[in-house]
Amino acid sequence: MFGRHKPLWGKKTRLKSSYDAVIIGGGLHGLATAYFLARDHDLTNVAVIEKRYIGFGGGGRNTAIVRANQRTSQNVPLYKEALALWPVLTRELDYNLMFFNCGNLNLMHSEAAMNAARMNVATAQFHGVESHLIDAKQCKELIPALNISDDITYPILGAMYHPPGGIVRHDAVVWGLAKGAARHGVHIHQQTAVTGIGVANGQIVSVETDRGKIHTPRVLLAAGGYSAAISYHMLGIKLPISVLTIQAMVTQPLKPILNHVVSSGTYHAYANQTLKGEIATGAHMDPWPNYTTQTTAYYIKHQAEALAEMLPCLRGVKFMRHWAGLADMTPDMAPIMDGNAPLKGYFMNCGWGYFGFKSCAAAGKYMARFMATGNCPDMLKPFTLRRFAQHRLMGETAALMSYSPDN
Amino acid sequence: MALTLTCPICGQRNGYEFRYGGEEKGPRPDEEGLSPEDWCDYVHLNKCVAGIQKEWWFHRDGCGAWFTTQRDTTVNLEVEQPEAQL
Ligand SMILES: Cc1cc2nc3c(=O)[nH]c(=O)nc-3n(C[C@H](O)[C@H](O)[C@H](O)COP(=O)(O)OP(=O)(O)OC[C@H]3O[C@@H](n4cnc5c(N)ncnc54)[C@H](O)[C@@H]3O)c2cc1C
Ligand SMILES: [Zn+2]
Repeated sequence: MFGRHKPLWGKKTRLKSSYDAVIIGGGLHGLATAYFLARDHDLTNVAVIEKRYIGFGGGGRNTAIVRANQRTSQNVPLYKEALALWPVLTRELDYNLMFFNCGNLNLMHSEAAMNAARMNVATAQFHGVESHLIDAKQCKELIPALNISDDITYPILGAMYHPPGGIVRHDAVVWGLAKGAARHGVHIHQQTAVTGIGVANGQIVSVETDRGKIHTPRVLLAAGGYSAAISYHMLGIKLPISVLTIQAMVTQPLKPILNHVVSSGTYHAYANQTLKGEIATGAHMDPWPNYTTQTTAYYIKHQAEALAEMLPCLRGVKFMRHWAGLADMTPDMAPIMDGNAPLKGYFMNCGWGYFGFKSCAAAGKYMARFMATGNCPDMLKPFTLRRFAQHRLMGETAALMSYSPDN
Repeated sequence: MALTLTCPICGQRNGYEFRYGGEEKGPRPDEEGLSPEDWCDYVHLNKCVAGIQKEWWFHRDGCGAWFTTQRDTTVNLEVEQPEAQL
């Protein structure tokens, strides 16, 4: 992968001793930010430093679901713009991102959930995002394989139906953004680990790597699940993050049976059929922080049970592959995007948990603007790290995701 | 290897019986004169150590005890220690 071969995105570059900006992490958000720094702001003397290979993190492990029907008014516009960017980027990057806007059904299993969905749908409609509440019969019309009888553990009452969502080929996004950034002159250095961040008088001055020191006035922390540890180990800055393992798996390829993304919070499961025919499914997280990407038989069993109830025609179908990645979870299930704080020239874009694929294009675009101009765009203001001390947490989750001894 | 934890009452049990309770952050701070930043630090901020950390657990599907133990987050295994504390 690394040897003498020419990288897919362009020619190999030499690691320079200084750049105008250094991005830690060749994942979705790092590459997207690099691309927009170059495209929109002429900041091309930029290095993306990647410890392993681009897409090693969540970028290459996610289940590729995209949608824009989040809960809060601060989040929906960002995701809406991200969703609209897939066809634009496909053309611009000259790379087939395989956007398949098959629509998402988010199943509801109680009257309380139906009421919560009503609020969600209203928020989406207010922001011009198509979203409808449908009943069980309409769910069955859209997904004939769905079990809407009441002889299952959690009978289906209806769904939040979001036609513009769907799936995008996740690796293609990584490679396409890398290609686009490199074409504008950005340097991508794989097999290079950031080992320290240099600060003088409250200002970023350099980044240490295992291949030498880089002088730079700006650094973006975009290391996905590794961001919180980097922040604490290298700068002593603690973040409101818990890093959990999230697992996913695919079945053997099948003929087309599932033409939508279907998800259920109650069953803790989502599924969609990839363009290859596999049913890609996942959702659960091991509820303890760790940095392994271990998979467990516990979740294969859980996933099989959930799918066998919701989509009974999948009984007996075999799982072919099972993998895991890290999710950097914040208490309010919204990311942290901040800059020039607490250090000048220090930017962060992390806390994306298990929803950082769908957002990466828009987040990268606005983070690039923030880094280039030094002014936080309005779109990003609610995502400041300071919201936690100001008790201005976002309501992306009804109950805080909290892992503390006080609850 | 799968995670097991040593409950001070029930002994070594399957990790899925327990609920994680957060990093050990010392005693709850005094509310008198507490700044929002210090409260935030205690409630929300984590070190997310890549290595051994001291942490809280609750034996949810067992005896209900809260206890602290040490675990290596890079391998997700409890670390041998003299004895767990209630
Ligand atoms: C199983 C699974 C399913 C998911 N499904 C979905 C989904 O359906 N939809 C969705 O929107 N999101 C999903 N996600 C979440 C999404 O993948 C992440 O939120 C997203 O990848 C975060 O992007 P990132 O750029 O912040 O980090 P990443 O893509 O993880 O990239 C971070 C990079 O930083 C590198 N790095 C780490 N440390 C260093 C260092 N010291 N120096 C240099 N580089 C370093 C890593 O090697 C990595 O390549 C899923 C995640 C997982 C694991
Ligand atoms: Zn016990």
